[in-house]
Amino acid sequence: MSPVRSSGALACFGRGLRASLSKPYLAVSLWLIQLLLASVLILPVSNSLHDLLDDSPSASRMVANPDLGWWETLLRTHPDLLGNFPDLLTGLLTPEGVTSSKLSGLRGIGAAAVSLGLLAIVLHAFALGGIFGTLREPHGSLVTFGREGMRRFPAFLAFTLAALAAALLAYRWVWLETGLALNERMRELQSERQALAITLARVLLLAFVLSAIKLVADSVRAIWVARPDLPPVSRFFAGIAGALARPVRLFGVLLSAIVTILTLYAIWIVADPSAGGEARFALVPLILTQQVFVFLRSLIKVGYYAGISEALTRTPSPEYSYVAAPSSAAPVAPPAPDDEPPLENPAGAV
Amino acid sequence: MGSAKARILLLALAGALAAPAVPLPAAPLAAPVASYEISCRLDPEKKTVEGTELLTWTNTTSRPAPTLQFHLYLNAFLNTRTTFHREAGGIARGVPIPDSWGSVEVLRMTFADGTDLLPALVSISPDDGNPDDRTVAEVTLPRPVAPGETVRVSLDFRSRLPRVFRRTGWKGDFFMVAQWFPKIGVLQEAGWNCHQFHANSEFFSDFGDYDVSIDVPSRYRGKVGATGKRVEERQGAGDRVLYRFRQESVHDFAWTADPDYVVVKDFFREAGLADVELLLYVQPEHASQAARHFRAVKAALSRMGRVLGPYPYPTLTMVDPPWGASAAGGMEYPTLITCGTHVIAPATLQKPEEVTIHEFGHQFFYGMIASNEFEEPYLDEGFNSYMTDRVLKATYGPDHPVVNVFGYRIALGIDKIYPVDAERRFFDVSTQDIHAQPSWKFRDGKSYGADTYSHTALALATLENLLGVNVMDRALRLYADRWRFRHPTLNDFIRCVNEVAGRDWTWFFDRTFRSSGNVDYAVEKATSTRAKAPKGLFERDGKLVDGPPPALARVRGYDSMALVTRRGETALPVDVLLRFEGGKTYRSSWNGEGRWKRFRVSGGPRLLEAIVDPDEKLALDEDHTNNGKRVVPDPRAASRWTARSVFWMQNFLDTLTVAW
Repeated sequence: MSPVRSSGALACFGRGLRASLSKPYLAVSLWLIQLLLASVLILPVSNSLHDLLDDSPSASRMVANPDLGWWETLLRTHPDLLGNFPDLLTGLLTPEGVTSSKLSGLRGIGAAAVSLGLLAIVLHAFALGGIFGTLREPHGSLVTFGREGMRRFPAFLAFTLAALAAALLAYRWVWLETGLALNERMRELQSERQALAITLARVLLLAFVLSAIKLVADSVRAIWVARPDLPPVSRFFAGIAGALARPVRLFGVLLSAIVTILTLYAIWIVADPSAGGEARFALVPLILTQQVFVFLRSLIKVGYYAGISEALTRTPSPEYSYVAAPSSAAPVAPPAPDDEPPLENPAGAV
Repeated sequence: MGSAKARILLLALAGALAAPAVPLPAAPLAAPVASYEISCRLDPEKKTVEGTELLTWTNTTSRPAPTLQFHLYLNAFLNTRTTFHREAGGIARGVPIPDSWGSVEVLRMTFADGTDLLPALVSISPDDGNPDDRTVAEVTLPRPVAPGETVRVSLDFRSRLPRVFRRTGWKGDFFMVAQWFPKIGVLQEAGWNCHQFHANSEFFSDFGDYDVSIDVPSRYRGKVGATGKRVEERQGAGDRVLYRFRQESVHDFAWTADPDYVVVKDFFREAGLADVELLLYVQPEHASQAARHFRAVKAALSRMGRVLGPYPYPTLTMVDPPWGASAAGGMEYPTLITCGTHVIAPATLQKPEEVTIHEFGHQFFYGMIASNEFEEPYLDEGFNSYMTDRVLKATYGPDHPVVNVFGYRIALGIDKIYPVDAERRFFDVSTQDIHAQPSWKFRDGKSYGADTYSHTALALATLENLLGVNVMDRALRLYADRWRFRHPTLNDFIRCVNEVAGRDWTWFFDRTFRSSGNVDYAVEKATSTRAKAPKGLFERDGKLVDGPPPALARVRGYDSMALVTRRGETALPVDVLLRFEGGKTYRSSWNGEGRWKRFRVSGGPRLLEAIVDPDEKLALDEDHTNNGKRVVPDPRAASRWTARSVFWMQNFLDTLTVAW
């Protein structure tokens, strides 16, 4: 008799985490992508900091604790280092928000960071193809990850760009435009509490819409991989239908992942290994601790995507599941996807 | 310390603590020049205040006055062609100016002898010649007012208040009524000093006695606050209530009304200072922060009072504007200040405290010393920012709260107009204008703010560091005592400094106030190499021989050098500290005049680092990060910060990609 699996959001997320832990190379691949992208900035940042700090008597003070005044002076006296990058980050939820015109204020490392962000989004589309594809395989590996990522890349990049465009539109219409429209009326409200309540409602609405966009995109990705038997258009709409059919469960998985990641951040902030400098960690242990943190976050991230796949799976698994339906009969090898055959004889092979 | 001495000291201390508060002076604090008796009536529906004004004015100059000039401030909000609107460019305090208009109309003006002055009243624009600006009006009198003569002018006026966006106006049932009545300018020997209403400037007027009756609907009963002391409350005709306020020796009058106010009272009493009744008109949703307001204002009353002399008025009214009317907050009027806070205002952020202390500080520089805010705005805002910083630091400590986000510290509550705290590197810098110049002549609002507030505060902090805090306090006290209820200029303050310091410090003010220069000293280079014996031909026994004599050949220690440069335009004297191995130091001074100076030490221990301005006396130094140089680089901090930067970048990328 086949085990009946719980279809609750927490259970799905839990199973997703287990899947993530059973295939840690997926988190490793995510971690590696981010590390390689971030490492582009190592030389510019390192050279600038060594140039500014090494000869400075402030350096000895800043090993353990950052000198706030030093940083602020640096930003004021070297505006070309970051440009308005800090303002962009902190201005996202201000009433004025961040518009594309403000990107022209980016400079130096700040501009490079945003460019890397765009590159990361593209690479993430590849990584998602690898993750979803590898999760289907009973015995996957990094090779599987790369192969599956490349196979899904065109479609997944399209999903990613579409989701990104939808999110930008949502930001504009749900946050910026409502902010502009409500600006006058907000000031006419009787009390600040009312204004805060409306602002909170706008934040929640924005979060909800962004979450919905993300969940729809992730659902389409999961179904795209799980149902290779369907034509692409059907897979796409089946993905949307999957999100619409199980909204609560999907939101639950997302919420579970967010809570888990926030817990991880809370632990980091309380433990505070970054601050304290040599009093707490020497350089190498500090770097290792930081990378362990990023890896753990990547594990949770992979767990989330596996959880989404779980949430779209019914037990026994019928049409939407990438998991083979339990059967008392002898296990049958899952049929190979007929639309995208593996590259057994790649071009140029002898 | 001997026991007798200790007893005497204790007795003296006890006596000081038990000393009664300074009694209020019976006589007027200042000779009245421009006194007003006003009766006005608020129409909350039409947003108007109609009133009758009796002005009693004395010509204190040595020349007859054939004309009178009046400020009609509310006409600044008449239309978009006024000087205020043109200068503001549609923005006030960072917020778009709404299409809400204000005006003040003079309906009747009668001279003491009954002559109708209204036909002779014309608008003038002494500052910019803008024919569309009606914020100053001039009337030619039937006869000149003789020197020393006192005349009376009676007038009726109607003020229409705008939706509050620049200090004054309404929001719903809330009214902040300021700059609201026709107000005479200041006649000086050179003529009338009566400037137009500008986007960046504040005000200037003569002292006098105010007796103001305010007629409001009865729903405002008990919810009317104003300059001075309330002397009467009585039922008016119909559903109205009438309040009367009086105050001597002030130069303006403002009032507020809001049926939602929660009125909280407290009292300030401290030995050696005058008693003050404190009134807080606070919004219901901020009522829980009343104690914070009182603590802040008491700290300011105490600490500023001990430096600048006691606050002499019997009352101080604090006003908390409602939501949507923050443009009325953060402003000062005689004995009345507007503060401002939020529902979410953690105590560590010190936000209502900061604005309360700052606005109270204006009671000295704007209120009593009363310099010309049009022409020398820094004498009020800058001096007050300097004192605000001192009170904040002394009361709440020097450090601002900091949130640590993965090793990156985000400072909270730092306001760049109060830059003299422990994190004083937070300040706006402007070298676009002469630092000390009339308020409307600054290139833009940012330059005005940077020069008037933070630059002046930093200049005074620098002066304090160069003079010593005791000399600085004595100079400030002399300035405050000598010029209380008069109209001093920067020169008057300089004379006080010179008098107390016993030296001429005019040069300091010429460089830091009357220039557009910046201050920046840096250590460009620091080296320390093992001393080498000299080589070459040396005279020995009358002959030139190869190699130095034994005395010269014996070398020990290191030859060290530090090159200090002046990167800023402004030269100030500065100390240089060389720190050597073994804890030895060498301190030298440089007058800072040249572009660079090299410091050499031969044969000493190995130099570790060179620091210019090691005591950070030059608060004006706009870049403290280049004030030192190590001989042997220390890469630890940069390496750690690089690691943190990569970590932040990874998290940034992860957060960015998690969404799609």
